[in-house]
Amino acid sequence: MKISKQERREAKQLFRSCVNNGLLDENRVRQAVQAVITQKPRGFMGILSQLQRLVKLDLERRTAKVESATTLSPQEQAAVQSSLVAKYGPGLNLTFAQNPALLGGLRIQVGSDVYDGSVRERLDNLREAF
Amino acid sequence: MSNLLQEIEAQISGVKTAVTRQNVGIVREIGDGVAKIEGLTDAMLNEMLDFGNGVIGLALNLEETEVGAIILGDYTGVREGQEVRTTGKLLQVPVGKGLLGRVVNSLGQPVDGKGPIKSDVNYPVEKIAPGIIKRKSVSQPLQTGIMAVDAMIPIGRGQRELIIGDRSTGKTTIGVDTIINQARINKAAEAAGEKDFRPIYSIYVAVGQKQSNVARVISVLEEAGAMPYTIIVTATASDSATNQYLAPFAGASMGEWFMDNGMDALIIFDDLSKHAVAYRQVSLILKRPSGREAYPGDVFYLHSRLLERCARVSERYGNGSLTGLPIIETQAGDVSAYIPTNVISITDGQIYLETDLFYQGIRPAISVGLSVSRVGSAAQIKAMKQVAGRIKGDLAQFRELAAFAQFGSDLDAKTQAQLERGKRIVEVFKQPQYNPLPVEVQAAILWTVQNGFMDDVPVDKIKDFQAKLTDYLSSRKADLMGKISKEKALSDALVAELKATVTEFKQTYK
Repeated sequence: MKISKQERREAKQLFRSCVNNGLLDENRVRQAVQAVITQKPRGFMGILSQLQRLVKLDLERRTAKVESATTLSPQEQAAVQSSLVAKYGPGLNLTFAQNPALLGGLRIQVGSDVYDGSVRERLDNLREAF
Repeated sequence: MSNLLQEIEAQISGVKTAVTRQNVGIVREIGDGVAKIEGLTDAMLNEMLDFGNGVIGLALNLEETEVGAIILGDYTGVREGQEVRTTGKLLQVPVGKGLLGRVVNSLGQPVDGKGPIKSDVNYPVEKIAPGIIKRKSVSQPLQTGIMAVDAMIPIGRGQRELIIGDRSTGKTTIGVDTIINQARINKAAEAAGEKDFRPIYSIYVAVGQKQSNVARVISVLEEAGAMPYTIIVTATASDSATNQYLAPFAGASMGEWFMDNGMDALIIFDDLSKHAVAYRQVSLILKRPSGREAYPGDVFYLHSRLLERCARVSERYGNGSLTGLPIIETQAGDVSAYIPTNVISITDGQIYLETDLFYQGIRPAISVGLSVSRVGSAAQIKAMKQVAGRIKGDLAQFRELAAFAQFGSDLDAKTQAQLERGKRIVEVFKQPQYNPLPVEVQAAILWTVQNGFMDDVPVDKIKDFQAKLTDYLSSRKADLMGKISKEKALSDALVAELKATVTEFKQTYK
């Protein structure tokens, strides 16, 4: 579906109005979506899908995905969390996942930044070096 | 001892695999060599992107939520959802003397099957042209070996002279002739062991050409022995538009290396019309707004920043130069189209080739009235200035008279003489392709025609007379030619000698 410039602009305005102190206010987003659905302004489908995309990108930006080969102990999780919050500020959602393909070490992705200290990555780098 | 410690330290730090931050994105859209990538928040303009499996891209559009990138090389392996990384590097090509004699693509990779390129220096493809302080005005000649060009539209080192004309009017031939002449001069000087001789290295950039045409140019250059002084950069019609867009910039970087290292180089962009078309394709797929003839708004800047890189730098900065000969193909002689007017206004003059002249047998089909060189006359050698100073005016006058004389046959003796002289000058300027002439021979022949020694030779015999005179001058009177090329001017003594020589030749000519 093609989203027009006007719809993009309105979605952007809507998104801005939902931001409070630099952080996205979830309740306001819900209210905004409700309001758009009930009022049905011109091109509301385009506005909603663009808003959804903006919210998705914002969530991704503030989500830290921590992957490890084995499950991390609560102390280790707390250590990772505190160092990430120190770097990226508050409002960071952490998800912990297990990925045996990493073989060992951690892979942390925050938005489009990736910190890869896994054994898998090092092996790949080694293979490329040859 | 401290060296050893440093070495060990460096090796240890190399082994330590510190976790580094990487910036990644996900391919969201892919088509026609252009990808839209979500993420990549740290991407810089014109940065190289790593698509994995050796495929690289170039970030051209930085938008609010995504990055538009062109893919260099094979884009059929790139999939939606694939991870892309930034590299923090600009696109670079190998430069240096190791490229001479080679045929490379727009990334500087060899395509001639002669093994890897020997080069340890890389230059970024997009480079800012030398500034005002570094520059110097054009003052040294670049001999094309084409008499009509060297006499009437002289080109200097560091100049940008546009070659413009319809299809098949001999545009490429002028470029190839110039390359061959540089190789001839370089070889002669090397054989004579001249100390302060400055060779000119040539770069031929083929953009959007047929592969067969490029192969033909290569074989002509090989036959003429010009390849050891030439680099060929190809992005043929079958290469992707992204590669065609990059090829002239890659060629300019290779030329700039010669300029930066105090050498002289010549670059031929064949041709910039196709380059503009390739850039239009890339821009439209990137969804940039289009303007006149659907070209993007920055198509002028595209060519101006490319051609500004051709320059002459002053002694303090190495005294090098890069001469540019861009080629533009017009449609039905229309020089007022968008791209031709752009490039005409950027360059320091143009050589305009006409279809009509070409089919009248006047080859090279240079239209004297519309061709001009804005800075080259400062670079012409004195001998040439002495004999060719008035020739452009004479020819223009002849054209006017010839048009007038068609209506009536009763002409006074002076007009008749002017017409006859004009016909002979036109005849003298005809020159077969791939046959450049040394400048001293050009000067001697022009002196002969200007001083009336050809007036009693029938017009249809002029070519024969000229060929035999050239032979005579370069074989029997080589020392006279040597003197002219050394003195670079026709002194009274030389003129007297030249007069005696031509008179002597005319007695033997039948």
